[in-house]
Amino acid sequence: MPRIRVMVDPDLCIGAASCVTIAPETFQLNEENKAWVFDHGQEPEGHTYERWLEVTDDEKENIILAAQSCPTLAIFIFDEAGTQLFPET
Amino acid sequence: MRYLIVGGGVAGTTAAEELRKRDASAEVTILSEEHHPLYSRVLLPHYMKGKVPRERVFLKRDAWYADQNIELVTGVLATHLDGRNKFVAGSDGREYPYDKLLIATGGEVRSLDEDLRGVSYFRTLDDADQFLQLVTEQGNRARGVVYGGGFIACEYINLFQHFGIPTTVIHRGSHFWTRSLLSEAGELIAKTLNTGGVELHENTSLQSLTGDSELQGIVTSAGEYSATILGVGIGIEPDLSWLRDAGVEVGTGVKASAFLETNVPDVFTAGDIAEFDDPITGRQLQIGNWMNAMSQGRTVTKSMIGERTSFQLVSSYATNVLGLEIIFVGDVERAAAEQIQVIGSVADGGITQVFERGGRIVGGVLIGRNTDRAPITKAIQEKQSFSSLNLL
Repeated sequence: MPRIRVMVDPDLCIGAASCVTIAPETFQLNEENKAWVFDHGQEPEGHTYERWLEVTDDEKENIILAAQSCPTLAIFIFDEAGTQLFPET
Repeated sequence: MRYLIVGGGVAGTTAAEELRKRDASAEVTILSEEHHPLYSRVLLPHYMKGKVPRERVFLKRDAWYADQNIELVTGVLATHLDGRNKFVAGSDGREYPYDKLLIATGGEVRSLDEDLRGVSYFRTLDDADQFLQLVTEQGNRARGVVYGGGFIACEYINLFQHFGIPTTVIHRGSHFWTRSLLSEAGELIAKTLNTGGVELHENTSLQSLTGDSELQGIVTSAGEYSATILGVGIGIEPDLSWLRDAGVEVGTGVKASAFLETNVPDVFTAGDIAEFDDPITGRQLQIGNWMNAMSQGRTVTKSMIGERTSFQLVSSYATNVLGLEIIFVGDVERAAAEQIQVIGSVADGGITQVFERGGRIVGGVLIGRNTDRAPITKAIQEKQSFSSLNLL
């Protein structure tokens, strides 16, 4: 299964919630109206804006779709080698 | 198959991308009034405040359209639709034939009758560039006035504050968002503005501008104020005349079924301009936000390729004004609600209004109460009543 790093930049996040709509298992808004990153609906080490996830190919595609849907491009996704998958550089 | 999309914003571009995914050989053409590839209007305030560089607002590059074999025609306005012979005429004099047509033209800003240099609107990247130029040129002689009481007014207030420009706000209503907010919620916003040093004049209409070619001031029903930049945010007004002439049923937007079909065969609509049957709240809604436009752009594709799919989304929009968070979820029109429950108070610094119709929750406005968002969204989706909601 692919391993990816998912990161939300809280300075850019405005709580538009597009990511939550598309990938609710990975993104949930906190009380500041910014998206925490979840691991399959769980928060193993507590709240965080950044975490490594082991996902299926379908899940990975859906998380990238969620990142693409963000109107402020606040979500960054990296592969295991550290290459930025989104936003494309 | 020839797919023609009128409108190069997020609804139209998302649809083009999805159509290409579903049909590698189809012709996909986007007609766009603007001269830019897709960019995020939602990122414009970030760009204007220097939080992201200008190139970061672009969500697609020119090369992307070429890679996807999507033809992007820029600087062209649709002027005529012939639904029988199936073509759209453009302002460039060309005729664009289609098998399936998507209307995703969004809205035009409602503008003032008068214009002087210093009058600013806020819809496009060009508007953002113009605002920045005014701020740079004027330096510390800038005086900001905001005309309006909605989302765009909030953006202007935050921008003026960011640049340290003294700010006066005038609006015609008794408070912000009079179509959605009760007076107590309006009072909370007014209090935040006053605390933030904004001079606020409610129940006030703009009568005229003063200045020769450059704006110097405004005349209102409450008096005259000096102004070098006037940020106008008084709503949007889509151009529907070319559609009406073609027999497309229109109201405040383009009337559509829950499947985003118009009354004219093979003509579909999505985004800010769509006035669609919403199966979740049981009413026709026209929603102007990013999430709605993007999701409709995706859903309408299915209907266009023959997999008729109804649009099902509880959409929401979040903003803040001087640090006060404001979130709209679902159907928040006061006139269409049977009951509005209020939680919180001005003294608490947070107010949530829950809109009910037919014994169930259809919408919510949350001011300074972000954590109410998830339970209200869920309650709308699951058609729950207010009594089953537990917000404290």
